[in-house]
This record gives sequence, structure tokens and C-alpha cells, in this order.
Amino acid sequence: MKLRLILFCYLFLLQSLAFGQTVLSGRVLDEKGIPLPGVNVLLKGSYDGTTSGVEGEFEFSTEKSGMQVLVFRLMGFKTLEIPVAVEGETLQIPDQELRESITDISGVTISAGAMEASDEKKSVVLRPLDIVTTPSAVGDIVGALQTLPGTSSVGNDGRLFVRGGDASEVGIYIDGLRVANAYGTTAGNVPTRTRFNPNLFKGTFFSTGGYSAEYGQALSSALALNTKDLSIRDQGDLSLMSVGGGYSHTLANEEQSITLTGNYFDLSPYQGLVKQDFDFERAPFGWDLEVAAQKKLGKDGLLKVLGRTESGGMKIRQPEPGQEGAGALIDLRNQYSYAQSNWSKISPNGWTWFLGASISANSDEIAFDSIQTTRDNKLAHLKASTIRDFSDRVSMKLGVEHFINTYAEGLPLEGLERNFQDGQTYLYTEWDWYLSKKLVVRGGLRGGLSSLSEEKWLDPRVSFAYQVSKNGQVSLAAGKFSQAPLENYRALNNDLKNTQADHLILNYFWNKDGITFRAEAFHKEYAELIRFEGVPMAPVNLRNEGSGFARGFDLFFRDRQTLKNTDYWVTYSFVDSKRSFEQFTTQVQPGFAPKHNLSVVVKHFVTGLKSQLGASLAVNDGYAYTNPNLPGEMNSKTPGFQNLSLSWSYLPRPNLIIHGAITNVLGRENIFGYDFSATPNAQGVYESRAIGQPAPRFLFLGLFLTLSKDKNANQLNNL
Amino acid sequence: MKIFNLIFAFVFISFSAFSQSNGAFETAIKSQIQAMQQIDSPESAQEVSNSFLRISEAESGEWLPLYYAALTKIETAFRFDVDKDAYFDEAIDLVQKAKEVSPNNSELTALHGYALMGKVSVDPVSRGQNLSPQVMQLYGTAINQDRANPRAVVLMAQMELGMAEFFGQGPEKACGMARMADELFRKESQKVDENYLLPTWGANTAKALIENCQ
Repeated sequence: MKLRLILFCYLFLLQSLAFGQTVLSGRVLDEKGIPLPGVNVLLKGSYDGTTSGVEGEFEFSTEKSGMQVLVFRLMGFKTLEIPVAVEGETLQIPDQELRESITDISGVTISAGAMEASDEKKSVVLRPLDIVTTPSAVGDIVGALQTLPGTSSVGNDGRLFVRGGDASEVGIYIDGLRVANAYGTTAGNVPTRTRFNPNLFKGTFFSTGGYSAEYGQALSSALALNTKDLSIRDQGDLSLMSVGGGYSHTLANEEQSITLTGNYFDLSPYQGLVKQDFDFERAPFGWDLEVAAQKKLGKDGLLKVLGRTESGGMKIRQPEPGQEGAGALIDLRNQYSYAQSNWSKISPNGWTWFLGASISANSDEIAFDSIQTTRDNKLAHLKASTIRDFSDRVSMKLGVEHFINTYAEGLPLEGLERNFQDGQTYLYTEWDWYLSKKLVVRGGLRGGLSSLSEEKWLDPRVSFAYQVSKNGQVSLAAGKFSQAPLENYRALNNDLKNTQADHLILNYFWNKDGITFRAEAFHKEYAELIRFEGVPMAPVNLRNEGSGFARGFDLFFRDRQTLKNTDYWVTYSFVDSKRSFEQFTTQVQPGFAPKHNLSVVVKHFVTGLKSQLGASLAVNDGYAYTNPNLPGEMNSKTPGFQNLSLSWSYLPRPNLIIHGAITNVLGRENIFGYDFSATPNAQGVYESRAIGQPAPRFLFLGLFLTLSKDKNANQLNNL
Repeated sequence: MKIFNLIFAFVFISFSAFSQSNGAFETAIKSQIQAMQQIDSPESAQEVSNSFLRISEAESGEWLPLYYAALTKIETAFRFDVDKDAYFDEAIDLVQKAKEVSPNNSELTALHGYALMGKVSVDPVSRGQNLSPQVMQLYGTAINQDRANPRAVVLMAQMELGMAEFFGQGPEKACGMARMADELFRKESQKVDENYLLPTWGANTAKALIENCQ
């Protein structure tokens, strides 16, 4: 009996193999009913299947029978599985529709206000390499960003100024964690630089407005720098420059890597050779030590650590307008440390996790002749966030942050000090909805509270992007942005509330085969800006009373395609900005917001010379300033700023780069404003002194050598 | 006893049926390897890679169908006017999947490097600096995983030649490697018979490189 049953079962099962074939046929279409060719159509668990033809049609035969699963697969579409009962000689499958899956690459992205520098994505305006090869930047990240739309170059400052905002309105982040005092401390109109080396970063996200709810404490702009992942090999990098030198050593394996770097710079030898217009008693000097480590944790986790400490200073004499002599001696010493660690994990189930903490500590000692001053600033940032992809159409970002900020400034000889401590807590969320591959809506909310000002606030933000043609898209962004006033103001008046800005941005972005065009119009409304009586050095009666606006448009065109081995970009930014702030009693054009800004960068690779030649030109129409000899505020304008810079990078060997650059080749005497005497002279005239450049030109020469015991390079001998 | 014999017979038949299905795997792979030679358009390439992917869906423990599907994608991207980045990315995805089935496989590591080299070729100026060392490292790992893998060596030779040309250095090193690859291809060809399913491509590249050296 048992045997019969086995036999029966076996024969029954065998039947499916022995009995005839079924021909399956049908058609695959997309959501709009357009036929899809190239779809992989198959019966699950068998080799049976085919590829759909030009009309989306398919036909194949199978020996299988009974209930089966028919699978449709095509790159860029969601896989479709349908149950089918396979029987008879032919089986007509009803028309099937495949839904497009929306990915980072295929979906429209919000480009209002946003500019990315990355190797990975296509629609980027800048590549990481551009930062080191833009002549006017001389290796400074912010220097390269100053060639992008929405920025203006303020040559005696060096920091980033975005759309009529001052430099403090740009929030700088490394791996999503805030960096305080990201620029070197400077004095006496000597331009500063970013402290962080561009080699640390794999990508940069720069927004000139309307940015994500993830970023706060910035009225105008967010600059997010993302550090590199695991290094791939052991190597040493040696740099010798006209202003100093450094060495960096990397140890790496499959699981972890660490890079240790030390640099020293001193402008004394350079200034000994090249005459300076500024009266340096001690040329700027400094050293820094840096460690960057990465470690894989589990399959999808990555832990990063970055630490940096540096020290530097300078002594410079600043002549007073209308007075004899060399002027007051400014003696500056700076100590700075930054450390952060972050852990991220991308789970295959649609969750991404991030935990991070950072601390910035800055200490300045500045003496003005016999008056000694100190300034100490510490900022700690703790952050936890998650991203959840509910489907390829809906995703959510959720985060919680806490900041602890302490600030103290004092006159140690007099035993005077004023300070504050503030704790700020934020909660933010942001949702992306893809209504189709061509239309995305993003809504975000950022809520914060401050323990010092006892203020609570909520900043809503919203943006849209719509793909209007194959290569073009339109984006719109609006939002509210809050930022605590400058620390030295808060130390004087702990009750100061947030300053505020509302953004409205309309953007058009077009990108195809190495040609990028970007046009953006914006309107920014400022409120609650800080006003006071007196002078910025000694403000009185600080209050949130100022207001203003910035409006304008900018254009960007980049072409890496048309001319062989040549890459160029042209940027024009128009900013009309007026605000009542600081000591100004009326709405005026700020000194850091020139109206017309033009920037051109050209790079050309000459294969025969193994060299890249670069040129960059920056022009604006001049800076507003107040001439006390005339009625009114901000009643005058300097001559226009011009800077033509050239560079030459020579690669004689794969591991050696020799880079030379000259800024302001034409030696134009740029003027950024005027200092006026505090009191009029005997003739009743306030005497003036132009604020110019440290020297007409800056020359840079550097040699960068990479030493690696490259296993691959020795491979030949091992075989 | 009778029952036992019968069961034994069934089991035997089942086994032969099973080995038959394994034979089906070999036949299917072989016929698609032949179909690869006939590719003359992105559409026909899509048919071949789809066929490999169908085999891989049914035989989830096999790395070869994924390997050939990825190789077809890479060659399509090099030969035809398609969205190259998308093809190379898909190839890398397939290689990663295959690596889960067969870790430390020299052929897969070399193919990964080949796909990444394709990505460099899309935009050498901006990607070269970052990706080229990764490509070199993958080829180096592939050679270490199997010193008899001629594809790892010939791909490395190609890369070395490109770098030497760019920096105006002599091609000696690349040529030496190409000759070594050629020797490995010769040894490999002795193993190849009609039932050989493993990758054999690349010998022509070695020959071409050597010709260039003379």
C-alpha cells in the first residue's frame, strides 16, 4: 500500500516533467502604457524566460505546470511578480505595467540654493579636485567656493560672504557636525583662510539659501564638508612650500585606516624676499597636528574620528589715519582645537543611523600696544539622526541635537571679564515625497530652544523640484532661518534674541554631458538684526531692532566638453542688499555686499607639458563705506575690485606634483574701504587711510610628493 | 527487499534527474557564452545578460552566471552608446552579489576592477585621481588571490601602460606584465576543453599590448 502511494506520488510529480510544454506570451508596458523592451521575463526557479522585444512583447515556452510565479525585471523599474497558473498549450498573460523606481540618480533633486562638489554624482557644479586647482583659491576650500554664484569676494577678510549676508551667516559643518571658528584668527585686515585642508574631504555641499532643516544657526548659507572614508593604502605625503611644509602618513588595511599629519608655516622668509605693504613685525606663522581615522564596524557601519590642534600668531603695526608714526602694534596669538567622532550605519532594511559629537575650542590673545585682551570660545555639538526610506517615494529624516556654547572675553591686566554659557536643543524633521520621478516635494521643521535667551522657535521650510525637460529642472525653496547674534554681543547682553531671515528662491538647472547652466533668483528678508550705539569695538544699548533685505539673481555656466582638455566656468551674481544693523541708523548697503560680482575660471591641460594651466578672474563693482566728511551713512563706494590669478601644476611623475600660483598678476591696487580718524583735523576734515592688500601679489610655489610602498607597483617583481 | 530495490531505483533516477539539471546549468551557461560572441547591439547584449541573470536566479549558489552577466554589462558599456555609468554601476552590483556567493574569488575581484576602470574612463580627469588607485588595488588583490589568473595581470598591464603613457615613462613594466599575462593565457588554454565554463577572455588584449611593445 505504502509502495503504491510512493509510486503514485512519484509518477504524479514526474508528470509535470513528462507532459508537454506551455507557451506563455504577453506584453510589458510602463506606467504610461508605452511598451518596455529589454525586460527580463522569467518563471521563478527555472531557466525558462525571455527578454521583451521592441513592442514590449514576450513569448517563451516552459515545461513547468501548475501555479508558478512570473517575474518581470528591468533596471530602473520595480520588479513585478505575478502568480500564474501554467496549463494548456498556450497561456496569454494580460498586459503588465512596470513602475519606475526612483533612485538618487533617476529622480529629480532639489537644486534651489544647492551646489555640490562630488566625484560620484553627475549634477555637481564643482569637483573636489577643483578646490585645489582653482588659481585664486591657493588650496583654500572657501577660496574655491568664492568662484561660485551667490558669493562675493571680500579681499581683506577672506571668509565666505553669501548674498548680502555677513561671514557669520555661513554655518560650517564637518560630517554634519558644527565647526566653530573654522577660519584662522586674524587682525588688521590680513585675509584669513579655512583651517581645514581640502584633502580631508571627499565631497562638499554648499547651499546659498533655502537649505535643509538639518542645518540651523545660519541666516544665509550652510557649508557641509564630508570627510573621506577608508584610505586604501599605506602612504606618506610630503609637501614643501614657499610658506612652509608638512608631512602626512597613512596606515591602512581593509578594516581601518589612520592618517597623521603635521604642518608648519612661517611667512617670514617669503616676506623677506617679497616686499609687503603691511608693516609686519612678525610674519604670520603657525603649526598644526591632525589625526583622521576610519574604521569599519560590522557590515554597514563606519566609525570616524577627526582631531586637530593648532597654534599660530603674528605681529603687525596698524597706522592711524592722520597720525604720525608706525601706529599701534597688534600682537596676536591663537590656539585652536577641534575634535569629532561619528558613527553611521546604513541598514539594508531602509534605516540609516547617525551618531556624532564634536567640540571646537578657540583661544585668542590679542594685544593692542599695552592693552591685552583675551577671547575664549568653546562649542560642543551632540547629534543623533536617522533617515527612514518608507519606499522609493517617501523618506523621512529625524534628528535631535544639543549644543553647549561658552564664551568669555576679558582684559586680564584689569581683571575684567564678561562671558556667557548657552545650551541649545533642537529637534528637526524633514520629509521627501516623490509624487513622480519628475516631481518632488520636501517639507521640514526645525524647532529650537536656548537656555540663555529663554527663547523657543520653530523654523518651517519647504521646497519643490520639477523636471521640465530631459536635462532641465526648476526648483523653488522657501523657509525661515534663525541664528543667535555674535558671541561678543551676547556676552554684553544675554537677553538678545535670535536674528532671523526668510528665504524665497527660484532656481533653474540644466546639465548635459559636461555642460552645466544654473540660474537662480532670490529674495531674503532680514529681521531682528542687532543694532547698537557707538562703534563696533565698544557697542552700547544692543538690541534686536535691525531689519533689511537682499534680493537679486545669479548665473553660472560651466563647460568641460566643448574645448579639448579645457574646463571653464563663468559666474555672475547680482545682489541688491540693504539693512539697518550695528551702528547704522538707516538701511544701508553693507560694506561686504558689492552689487555686481563676476568670476571666471579657466583650466587647460597641456598633455605635452604634463601640466595643467589655470587662470581665474574675479571682478566686482566696489565696496560701500561711510565717508564722515560727507553727509549720511555708507555714502561712498571704493573703486571696483579686480584679481587675475594664474597657476601652473606640473606632474612629472605619477607621485609628484609641482604647483605654482600668482594672485593678482596685474598688481592692481585693490581698496576695500577706508579708515578715518576719530576726530577731524585743524581744517575740519576727517583724515583717511585706504584699507588695501598686504602686498600687490602673492606668489606660491609648492612641491607635493607621495611616497607609497605600493604593492601593485612591486607586483612585477613578485610574479 | 523488493521495496528497498525500488526505492533505491527511484533515488537513483532522481539523482540522475538532478545531475541532469546540473547538466542543464552547464548547457545553459555554454550556450550563453556562445551567444556572447554574437552580440552586435545593446539589445542583443541585454538578451544575453538577462539569460545569465535567469540562470543565476534559479541557481542562487553559483557565481558564474552573475560573473558573465556583469561582464556582458561592462563590455556593452565599452562598445555601445549607452548610459555607461548606469551599466558599470549595475555590473559592480552584480559582482558584489557574486562575491557573497564566492568570496576571495580572483576572477570577481579582477572584474570589479575592470568595471571601476570603466567608471574612470567616463570622466578620467575628475575621477582618475580618486578611483585609479582603487582599480590598481583591486587588480593587485586579484593577482594575489590567484597568481595564475591571466585576466588580473593583463588588466593591470593595461592600466600600467595608460599611466606610463600619461606620465611619458617607458612601457617596460607594462610590457613585462603583458608578456607574463600572455604566458598565463597559454597555460590556461591547455586546460580549456568544450566543457570549460570558467572565464577565458583577455588573451587578445595581451597580444595587442605585446604588439604595441615591439
